[in-house]
Amino acid sequence: MTMRRAKRILHVAGNDLRIMVGDKAFFFWTLAFPIFFIVMFGLLYKSGENAPAVAELTVVNLDEGRWGGYFVEKIKAPNLTIKTADAEPAEYSRLLVLPADFSARIEARRDQALAFKKRSGASVKAAARVETRLYQSIARVISELVLYGEGDLTKFLDGHPEFRDIVRVESRFPEKTVTVVPSGFDHSIPGTTIQFIMMMVIIYGGVTVLEDRKKGVLARMLFSPLSTADVFQAKLLGRWSLGFLQALMLIVVGKIFFGLNLGSLPLALLVIAVFALAMAALSVFIGSLCTKEDMIIGLAVLLANMFAGLGGCWWPNEIVPPAVRRVAMISPAHWAMDALHKLRFFQGGFADILPNLGVLLALSVVLAVVAGRAFKIRD
Amino acid sequence: MRRLLLVLANDVRRHLKAPMAILIFMVIPLGMTGLIGVIFAPQTEGSELPPISVLLVDNDKGLASKLLVGAFDVDQMKEMFQVTVTDEADGRKRMGRGKASAMVVIPEGFTLDLLDAKPVTLLVVKNPSEQFLPDVVEEFMNTMAVMLSGVVQAFAEEVRGIRAMLDRPVESFPWDKLGPEFGKAQKKVVAARTYLDPLILRLKAEETKAAGARTSFTQADLFSAVLPGMAVMFLLFIVQTLMRDIISEREDGKLRRMLTTPLRPIELIGARIAGGWVMGIAVLLVMVAAGTLIFRATWGPLGGFLLLGAVASFWAAAFFALLHALVRNRNQSGAFSAPIILAFSLFGGSMMNLEAMPKAFRTVGILTPNRWFIDGAALLRDGRFPFVPILILAGSGILLLALAVPALRRRTSV
Repeated sequence: MTMRRAKRILHVAGNDLRIMVGDKAFFFWTLAFPIFFIVMFGLLYKSGENAPAVAELTVVNLDEGRWGGYFVEKIKAPNLTIKTADAEPAEYSRLLVLPADFSARIEARRDQALAFKKRSGASVKAAARVETRLYQSIARVISELVLYGEGDLTKFLDGHPEFRDIVRVESRFPEKTVTVVPSGFDHSIPGTTIQFIMMMVIIYGGVTVLEDRKKGVLARMLFSPLSTADVFQAKLLGRWSLGFLQALMLIVVGKIFFGLNLGSLPLALLVIAVFALAMAALSVFIGSLCTKEDMIIGLAVLLANMFAGLGGCWWPNEIVPPAVRRVAMISPAHWAMDALHKLRFFQGGFADILPNLGVLLALSVVLAVVAGRAFKIRD
Repeated sequence: MRRLLLVLANDVRRHLKAPMAILIFMVIPLGMTGLIGVIFAPQTEGSELPPISVLLVDNDKGLASKLLVGAFDVDQMKEMFQVTVTDEADGRKRMGRGKASAMVVIPEGFTLDLLDAKPVTLLVVKNPSEQFLPDVVEEFMNTMAVMLSGVVQAFAEEVRGIRAMLDRPVESFPWDKLGPEFGKAQKKVVAARTYLDPLILRLKAEETKAAGARTSFTQADLFSAVLPGMAVMFLLFIVQTLMRDIISEREDGKLRRMLTTPLRPIELIGARIAGGWVMGIAVLLVMVAAGTLIFRATWGPLGGFLLLGAVASFWAAAFFALLHALVRNRNQSGAFSAPIILAFSLFGGSMMNLEAMPKAFRTVGILTPNRWFIDGAALLRDGRFPFVPILILAGSGILLLALAVPALRRRTSV
């Protein structure tokens, strides 16, 4: 490729980018709206992290003896807030009921089942924390009862051997990865960026290819020294630069306002660049194939949402069933998100993300070839 | 009226001739509902989570560590955890690549330290890219730690005996003294059985709804809960696409030509709004049919749902009629409509569960048609008539129509 030809392609691509960026709605779609998503999902992720700290349990202690109070003391933990009520309230997230004969049954060594009610829709994570704590408290009380032996249980609370935590659990992250829990925005910004690159590049890129073809702009361009292949390459480059520019803006905003940490920034940008290339090729392909703007928008929304949902842009991949995780490999977003996770959460290097880059690059080449064949100057 | 119906019929025919865009907008909510349903449906009986991948490193290989490893082998735990026993080097390598949710490391000398009643620490290495599953493993290990601590304390004397036995050569061990020791242990085991079989304290966990009623949530229920939110979101997109004719006909001169016929502007406006309304109802009907066939979704009484859908579709037609009376051209229409629909959907609960949203966002959601449609659909599924949602959608729809018609008449005059 001669320098002059490269300059022409760059000129057309730059002009395409200038026209797209000049659109009044551009900044809303590429910046304001994704930021709105980032804040929303960031807060959701954050509330997920905070759930154990604010996990609430309402206890209705109807016990007529002393064991009820003793058991409630056993439940208490720093990550648990216990509210007491005289009767089952209308509003609660989790509720434990200690019956009137709670002490009497323990003292008579008779078994009992305690009603533990979890409100559907309340935090699953907090519910799991509370339920586990209740099981641990039961284990502690039963251990003390076994230790106490066959003595008179009515006198148990006057003096008994205390439970000691001989076995303790310590938790940490793997070596050479992160040392502090990543923020909600470290999860939401990469996901939103990948989703909106897909959506915006396909919509803007596809619609402008369609409009240029319908209005005869592409045909007129051939009167210049540009060939059809040059026009195609310029269109591809213009759409790639749109996606990359959008990602840069979101990352800068994320760094300034949300303390975003992507691990290695140059490598994260490399992943996004290759991903944007695949989306640029897809946008030219869809723009060449469709004859109506509404179809492009519909296809863009459909593909972007399906790829984003499958690829782990919306929810943590851990909750996704293994079969769906395998299906997710068809989503380009999966490979980009996986690479960004390796960089952020495992402090990965170039070698770690090489397979992801390989897949995304291969996809870009295939889509570019397909788009090149479908690209047409006139309808 | 006849002319209005003729324009309306012609519009419907025209849209049905090129239905691809509408079809895509109908496929999206069904696809999204399917995806959400597959991901969030209960994985196994009684569990909402996929199997948790755990790496287990036993550096002790003693009696206590084997008991601990065995705890993962109980049937209920097998469903919950997918355990891989490995060595520490391999485990660290795998965790460094995020190949498991957590790694549990049982330290060397674990059994002997326990027998000496010395404090021991189990290590849980958590996957930093996961937010929920590693915590489940940590809490499970915390529970196991409490149980082990309890056993060691309850059988402290016996534990000391075993420890002494391990320290002495076999030939010098006083085997004749073992009998009474076993006798004491047997008494304790028998006493412990009073508390353990059946457990003297158990939990009877149940899930309740706001009214306190019991509920079991199936995949079909999940589809039924998700689909209305998705349907109303894309109903807005479809009605907006149809109502854009108001602008495009003004731009390309069709409107001017149509008004040279005996057609009055009010008839044309009426036909456009009625067209959006009727097509909206038709789209909802197709979605109800597809949702029922594909996802076995339930809607409550069909008549009630159709009434709710008709009111929501009327609201959408009136809203976009007003919006298209206010914008100048197609570009402005596109620039305003899509963000408004997405904002409605985000705040109104189409994109995420309302209960998971911050309170301020939920309050804003009251201003959206999505919220009232979703609430109405939920009430219908619960067997209650959605009087308030229908009233609010119909009332605000009439208000929007009252504002839209005069505004459109001004823009339609030639």
